[in-house]
Amino acid sequence: MNSIRTTKSRPNMWALLSFLFITIILLPNLVIAVNFFAPANENWQHIKEYLLVDIVTNTGIILVFTAIATTLIGTSLAWIVTVYKFPLRNFFRWGLILPLAVPPFIGAYTYHGIVNYTGVIQSTLRNSFSIQVDQKYFDIMSIQGSIFIFTLFLYPYIYVITKSFFEQQSASIVENARLLGANSFEVFFRVILPIARAAIIGGVTIVMLEVINDYGVVKYYGVQTFITSIFQTWFAMGDIDSAFKIAGTLMVVVIFILILETIVRGRKRYSYSTTKVRPIQSKLLVGTKAWLMFAYCFAIFSLGLLIPLLQLIYWAVMTYDKILTAEFFTLIKNSFTAAATAALLTVAIALVIANYTRISRSIFSKVISKITVLGYSIPGAIIAVGIITIFIALDDILYSFFTSFNSDPIYVLRTSLVMLISAYVIRFLAVGYNSIEAGFEKVGNTFTEASRMLGVSQVKTFFGVDIPLVKGAVISGFILVFVDILKELPLTMLLQPFNFSTLATKAFRYANDEMVSEAASASLLIILISGICIFIFHKVLDKGE
Amino acid sequence: MYVQIKNLHYQYQNSSKPTIKDFSLNIDQGETVTILGESGSGKSTILRIIAGLETPKSGSISIDGKIVVDERHFVTPENRGIGMVFQDYALFPHMTVAKNIIYGLRKMNRKQKADRLDEMLELVNLTDFKYRYPYELSGGQQQRVALARALAPSPSLLVFDEPFSNLDANLQVKIRDDIYTILKKTGVTSIFVTHDQADARVLADRIVFIENGMINRVGPPEEVLGCASLLMWANSN
Repeated sequence: MNSIRTTKSRPNMWALLSFLFITIILLPNLVIAVNFFAPANENWQHIKEYLLVDIVTNTGIILVFTAIATTLIGTSLAWIVTVYKFPLRNFFRWGLILPLAVPPFIGAYTYHGIVNYTGVIQSTLRNSFSIQVDQKYFDIMSIQGSIFIFTLFLYPYIYVITKSFFEQQSASIVENARLLGANSFEVFFRVILPIARAAIIGGVTIVMLEVINDYGVVKYYGVQTFITSIFQTWFAMGDIDSAFKIAGTLMVVVIFILILETIVRGRKRYSYSTTKVRPIQSKLLVGTKAWLMFAYCFAIFSLGLLIPLLQLIYWAVMTYDKILTAEFFTLIKNSFTAAATAALLTVAIALVIANYTRISRSIFSKVISKITVLGYSIPGAIIAVGIITIFIALDDILYSFFTSFNSDPIYVLRTSLVMLISAYVIRFLAVGYNSIEAGFEKVGNTFTEASRMLGVSQVKTFFGVDIPLVKGAVISGFILVFVDILKELPLTMLLQPFNFSTLATKAFRYANDEMVSEAASASLLIILISGICIFIFHKVLDKGE
Repeated sequence: MYVQIKNLHYQYQNSSKPTIKDFSLNIDQGETVTILGESGSGKSTILRIIAGLETPKSGSISIDGKIVVDERHFVTPENRGIGMVFQDYALFPHMTVAKNIIYGLRKMNRKQKADRLDEMLELVNLTDFKYRYPYELSGGQQQRVALARALAPSPSLLVFDEPFSNLDANLQVKIRDDIYTILKKTGVTSIFVTHDQADARVLADRIVFIENGMINRVGPPEEVLGCASLLMWANSN
């Protein structure tokens, strides 16, 4: 269909703005791509020969095993809470999403604190039972440990997506399979898993991208991956060229994963576009079976939320009088200002792009929509490297500009928050965009058309009709981006201005300086805020629909 | 001729066949024309092209002597002065009945708006519902608000896209008669799009019967609805 044109000669403001934003998003990636092909230096030869194999192997092992473990846990939990009734099932339905509130890096140092020599497990065994254990069984600071942490705190991505699939799509299929004489076990493995393939793959892709993006877990556990190598070459060796090369290689990996997703998913989508959703009838379990299901859900819930939370609360109580000073409130202020500013900008830009891609159904607008969504796939560290390069170049131009006017030359941009906030917007635009696009899709185009038929221009319609109608989606978009930024680590580590820390970076720095209990207050605050948001989204909104 | 449509062609981007082929039609001032056709015949597309919501591949449309679309011109929907009543009414859910009706009256002052609002509410017989929200109204009432909203800015042409398809069968007849009365009272030129022959018979001065994006027959209701192909179509429905 053709779009509503303004006139034949006047260029469309929405298209221009969208194009501008997309260019800004693509710029850091282009910087990486261009520099990736620049001639290599000696250092890169060295890295390629001795480090690259390790990096690729480590990242590969973590990716594969995390993908398998999260898929098993995520889909099995989703299946259990959908088809069975057992004690506390209604609580677990949304409670099992809550581990998502714990950023994996916080989980990483909390679990290390729990299992290490002075931690609660070993000291209890030692002091109460006089048992000395072999340290190798408690070595969490390893590749296996990283997989454990990623699995515990990332499985909810798969859980959420498959749960909604099971709840909405599978009723008639499951009933048919049962009528044909298949038992529950068969139904799950032979019917449910295959039809849920697209949903599961969607979830696994998100998990893998999150794992690739991670800096905190692997850094704390001392596992060499792409992201840690970028940090290392850039900061420790000051070798920007090699950082580009590693970032470029990582981008190839990301693109490979995305292509793989498209191929494996094939033409299957998450859902059929039917409005006649019939919820699946769940089966009441009694006795041992019921308690077995309960135990499984409770075990995952404890590992993913309860245990780390109790440990953090214990540490926070121990240290709060040292921590809750003026500096802590500065951290809160910093985190909130940066996150709120960036989330506001993100949502505003997402609104403009979503409105454009909705009204214009041209190929150009489809490309813009795709690129916006892809932005989220690019790891924060890559965006950071690209952004720094761009801002330093801009700064140099400004510097010479200042000099020529004889005023005091200063480097404005690279020391300001502008850099960090631009990076946040680029990284999380997709999150805001997805929410707003879904909102627009729900509302449809008729109201906009009705408004224009009443003689009101596109811009006035945008503010008077479109925005009020998607208000809910805009607010959810804002909250999602806000929480993501609050938890963000690698981008913030690389781009925060001197003397500026957020709750997340400060917590990580404490933990890295062997002051893990001092990190607890900031960690708890992050988990609390994320937890509340998840609660609102999955409990309250779920009921509203 | 008040409305002149000449040689309209239209094709959706992802379709191999044209949706509208060589569509021409003249409408007199004050006349009510009904475009009758099956779903997928292209009738709604014609309406959207006239309204400016779609751009034709070729052809031209002029209203009251002013060209609104041809090879070189394109007047945006908000500047065409056409009123439209949508199939699902599209009443703004975040505005009251009053706010909906005065929404299109941008150029009037407060007093003029209030007067026009009262006039419209009286016309559609909804004076007591001024401060209700759309979801607090019945389907028939929503329909009348949509009509009042479209009429308020005094459009040069009023178009209806399947206006009765969302109403209960027993309500349809009543609302249809109401709308007919209101239209004749205001004397506005109007185009209806419908798949229902009874609607077409009651409302139209003239019926345009289209099939596969092309005009099959044009004329007064008794002439067009009497023909054989239409009878067959009616039976198959």
